[in-house]
Amino acid sequence: MDTLLFGLLNGLIYGLLLFMVSAGLTLIFGMMGVLNFAHASFYMLGAYFAYTLQGLLGFGPAVVAATLLAGGVGALVERFFLRRVHHHGHAHELLLTFGLSFIVAETIKLLFGNFPVDYHVPASLDGPAFTLGSQQYPTYRLLMGAVALAMFGLLYLLLTRTRVGIIVRSAIYKPRMVEALGHNVQLVFMGVFGVGAALAGLAGAIAGAFYTTSPNMALEVGVMVFVVVVVGGLGSLGGAMLASLLIGVITSLAVSVDRSLADALTLVGAGAWAESVGGLLTLKLSSLAATLPFALMLLVLLVRPQGLLGDKT
Amino acid sequence: MNSLRLAALPAALLISTAAQAAPVKIGLLETLSGPQASTGQTFRAGVRYAVDKINAAGGWNGEPVQLVEYDNQGGPAGASDKLKAAIADGVQLVVQGASSAIAGQITEDVRKHNLRNPGKEIVFINVGAEALELTGEKCNFHHFRITGNAQVRTKALVQGMKQAKALGSKVYAINQNYSWGQDMEKAIVDNAAAGGYQVVEKRLHDVNKIQDFAPYVAKIVASGADTVMTGNWSNDLLLMMKAAKAAGLKADFGTVFLDQPGNISNAGETAIGHFIAHVFNGEAGGAEGAKFVSDYAAKTGRAPVFVEAQAVFALDMVADALKRTKATAGALDVNAFARAMETAKIKTPMGEMSMRAADHQVLLPLVVSTVTKDAKYKVDGTDMGFKPVKVFSAEESAMPVQSSCKMQRPS
Repeated sequence: MDTLLFGLLNGLIYGLLLFMVSAGLTLIFGMMGVLNFAHASFYMLGAYFAYTLQGLLGFGPAVVAATLLAGGVGALVERFFLRRVHHHGHAHELLLTFGLSFIVAETIKLLFGNFPVDYHVPASLDGPAFTLGSQQYPTYRLLMGAVALAMFGLLYLLLTRTRVGIIVRSAIYKPRMVEALGHNVQLVFMGVFGVGAALAGLAGAIAGAFYTTSPNMALEVGVMVFVVVVVGGLGSLGGAMLASLLIGVITSLAVSVDRSLADALTLVGAGAWAESVGGLLTLKLSSLAATLPFALMLLVLLVRPQGLLGDKT
Repeated sequence: MNSLRLAALPAALLISTAAQAAPVKIGLLETLSGPQASTGQTFRAGVRYAVDKINAAGGWNGEPVQLVEYDNQGGPAGASDKLKAAIADGVQLVVQGASSAIAGQITEDVRKHNLRNPGKEIVFINVGAEALELTGEKCNFHHFRITGNAQVRTKALVQGMKQAKALGSKVYAINQNYSWGQDMEKAIVDNAAAGGYQVVEKRLHDVNKIQDFAPYVAKIVASGADTVMTGNWSNDLLLMMKAAKAAGLKADFGTVFLDQPGNISNAGETAIGHFIAHVFNGEAGGAEGAKFVSDYAAKTGRAPVFVEAQAVFALDMVADALKRTKATAGALDVNAFARAMETAKIKTPMGEMSMRAADHQVLLPLVVSTVTKDAKYKVDGTDMGFKPVKVFSAEESAMPVQSSCKMQRPS
């Protein structure tokens, strides 16, 4: 029972973290139609900004500053790079962000070296929140979950309940009309991209301390973020949330499942045959935990190509 | 990408005396870009230092040995490609270490090349790939493994931890799901009787894909294990230690790659009491070890870390074999060199290292160390370091030749 509870909790929190990173990506795509390959680079930038500023400002302010800086870099990228290639179409935007991700990764390697840097959770947050059975649950994980939930709430309210939200949504839908009404659409796009980058930066600043801050962190999380966005539906914030939680819980619970196809075949009396064949049939599900999200993505693409909550076909 | 390094200039002046002689080219086929570049670059640092040393001692046949570097981009396909380029460039000795998957490709490619091009053979010097198959079913005359393997590392680790009274009775085996991790898992199970422990659970997981190790650590806690044994490297080890710390897991870790830079600083105090079986520990080497560390630091700017010393020792063995190989018509006869390699023997600060001709697995001393604050050499800018617990001589750490190795020598 304890194990299941911990499994669920671990999965949910990891899911929330995935949401933090993917929220910005899906937001940018939904609003601007730009598939941002460099999105995970902002996640990495956030972590390195926070690591650098931590000594100067302390942990909390460093995270805030890192978020703002990542957002600032994002806004600059939109203003001086993406805007120039926008009229060439999406393929160019995609290639541009793809190239950008390499440049960011190599710059980080130049400045901070190839190995993980010493960025960790501050001592005051480094302890168990509660103990269940023989296991402790770390406070910091709960904090990560809380930040993600707060972020989701704020974003949702901002987009649906405020004037800014109305302008943003209409600028996406009918940019020329909004422009004619006297709003600065270019500024809206820059703002959306900046906010998206800032969200990734916040996720990086928070998760970098808990996991590792290394030049590979963008690569590690980047692929999973795309899986989240595809499963949830491109452009859907709610879909990203649902997909993140789903992926988090599936990977977490699968670790406990020591079953293979052979066990399933035993039920129909073919277990001995499956054992003798070996290979894929005797592969335990637990050893594939990190691969399952990709299987889920495949399934979603086959059955519901627009994603769980996506409305574009 | 291919940079040519002519290290010892004075030796280059000798070229005029042996005008038509071909210099020996050593091709380093390492992962120099991408996610695993950090490991490849550590091997490169060690190899560069060792080649400079060979050249400072006069090179081979009166000429400096050339080191040519190729980036295999972290995968077998890139390695296969770059191997062809290296052969076209006239490389005779290929050196690689990071990743058994890449080494598996190179050793097969080298074997096939040598079959098809008699008289133009090349030799593969494996300085770090430790999967058993390389000296088992894939063993061949032109491959030499100058590093440990899962069997010898685990044997030393278990004995060392047992003597330090740090080995619990319940061991959890967690490893990466590919040749190396599977070998480690088997070795951990095989050593259960000798170590007097029971393997409470064994688990294989995806390689370098997992960000969140909390579910795995929850399984370890639930199993009640008091020792965790793992062959994990890079992020898979670091993230697991961080997750273990966050969950308050009290078990000690027995590892093989704990000395990768960044691990100790990132893990922090939780690393104290963890064990490692590695090839070199400056403190264990006494005066010779200190001399090696200071010379390495003088030449490269920092003390040797991770696999650097291991790469240096491997190239020292190559140097030993080169010294005993006479030039044939001004060039290196690779088969003669390989035969000399089979009897290569050197003294390192850790003890004597020699090549076993039967399967081309080196017999090397291993040292088991534990992380403490009173180690002589601190790592990662922390106040912690690796304190040697026990040094196992080459004979003590050796494991028998695998029966699957059918070595065929050229007549």
